[in-house]
Amino acid sequence: MHRESFPCSESDPAQIIQCQACEPQVAYLSISTPPLCPGILTSNKLSSYTIELIKRLCPGVVEIAEATREGYQLTLRLNLTKIPRRNDYVKVIKEISTVHSVILSSQLKEILWNFNSDDAIKGMHKPIKLAYNPREPFFVIRQPPRIIAVFPIRFAEKSDVIISTAFFQELVDVGSLDKYTKAPPCSWSAIPPPELRGEAFEDLSTNGGFVSFDISAHHVDGKRLDKTVWNLLNFNAYVRFHVKTTKGFIQRRMRKRLENLVEVLHHTESEQDNEQITRHHGCSCTKGLLVKSSKYNILKQRWGNLGRKLKRIHFRVKIQGFGRFRQRWLRLPKFSSSRGYTKLG
Amino acid sequence: MASTLRPYLTCIRNTLDAAMCLQNFPCQEVERHNKPEIELKSSPELLLNPVLICRNESEKCLIETSINSLRISLKVKQADELENILTKKFLRFLSMRAEAFQVLRRKPVQGYDISFLITNYHCEEMQKHKLIDFIVQFMEDIDKEISELKMSVNTRGRLVATEFLKQFI
Repeated sequence: MHRESFPCSESDPAQIIQCQACEPQVAYLSISTPPLCPGILTSNKLSSYTIELIKRLCPGVVEIAEATREGYQLTLRLNLTKIPRRNDYVKVIKEISTVHSVILSSQLKEILWNFNSDDAIKGMHKPIKLAYNPREPFFVIRQPPRIIAVFPIRFAEKSDVIISTAFFQELVDVGSLDKYTKAPPCSWSAIPPPELRGEAFEDLSTNGGFVSFDISAHHVDGKRLDKTVWNLLNFNAYVRFHVKTTKGFIQRRMRKRLENLVEVLHHTESEQDNEQITRHHGCSCTKGLLVKSSKYNILKQRWGNLGRKLKRIHFRVKIQGFGRFRQRWLRLPKFSSSRGYTKLG
Repeated sequence: MASTLRPYLTCIRNTLDAAMCLQNFPCQEVERHNKPEIELKSSPELLLNPVLICRNESEKCLIETSINSLRISLKVKQADELENILTKKFLRFLSMRAEAFQVLRRKPVQGYDISFLITNYHCEEMQKHKLIDFIVQFMEDIDKEISELKMSVNTRGRLVATEFLKQFI
């Protein structure tokens, strides 16, 4: 039996696809993820609620294999023949690719439902650190009747921090409008909120401040729970994407403005350039000229006028042959453009 | 604020009109070299007194003149951190493409946001009053562009925030 295994992503070897030569229409997808909250969920096994959610993903295509691959939490059996060939295959593949996020979001849902009652009685609402992205953890604090989600914001560049801070101010402003009373109230502060007192220093040291959302029972009710959990888990990614696209927008706008500013320099309109611009032989590049001085043109015009005047002078005394002498020896020099050329011969 | 802009720009325009009397002057130090004396500053007799025109504490214009070159340095107003980074980004963007402007300096003078260097060659190729018009128009356009950029960034942020919060409703 010939087997081949492929990691789904080089950067994330937590998922692996395995194919067997004897079953070409079947693929096995093995998944291993660190727990969303290591302090709370100590067991490596998936809960029954998570398993139920996974079973609901493409029931005909995805099955949970009985024998889990060694070193992984879950192995799924994908029946490739059941994947539709036409329009719906994209939807099916997208659903299969969300298995990882389904596992993590189900863990957050369980945390929100099964909060340790002992802590609630004692009045200690310990912040729970969640690591959807290991480099961007956030905190959830349960303070009945609400749950507070606090996001420490960190950026590598100062400009990103400033753009994100402007965004958070707009978020707070929009959240305070009457139209969005049903949305969770949002606040931003440069210093850690009081709920995070006692947490590790490296978790509280940020340059982008702290964003807090007050989640009430209304937001985790029924179908809204999925959306709320999804938005919380992906808030950091959302902010980073907004900062990135804003920087791209600024760059595009600067480029466009540069073209407009340079165009002013190329504008050849001038007060003294009312005469027709004669085309010069050779490279007649009037486009792309600088704000040209017309002193050259003025001088040329005056010289031409002088020459024409001289030609029109009528001598009272007519000397035979003087006309030819004048044409040959008293001819005024012609000014030629540096771009033009002189015809030889 | 707008009431001080016109006198500020008029003062700059008049000063440039008086200062932009440049002529060709070969370098006194090195044979067969012709350098902008305002950049070298090796011969004090070739330099004129610099003129500093201030609109307020944060906006000013320094005009330094020499016999064959003129340097104009501008400090643009930056009301908050967002305007600060937008101004820095935009003016750095323009400075890196200084060859498109011909009279723009690649690196601003220390303490200023952007600098122009005009030599006698520029005055020969271009019309003096057009150059002055360009500089003054540039100043107005920069202010306008920074304000528009800031407004656009805030508007974008508002739209994105609205879309994010809509998902909870």
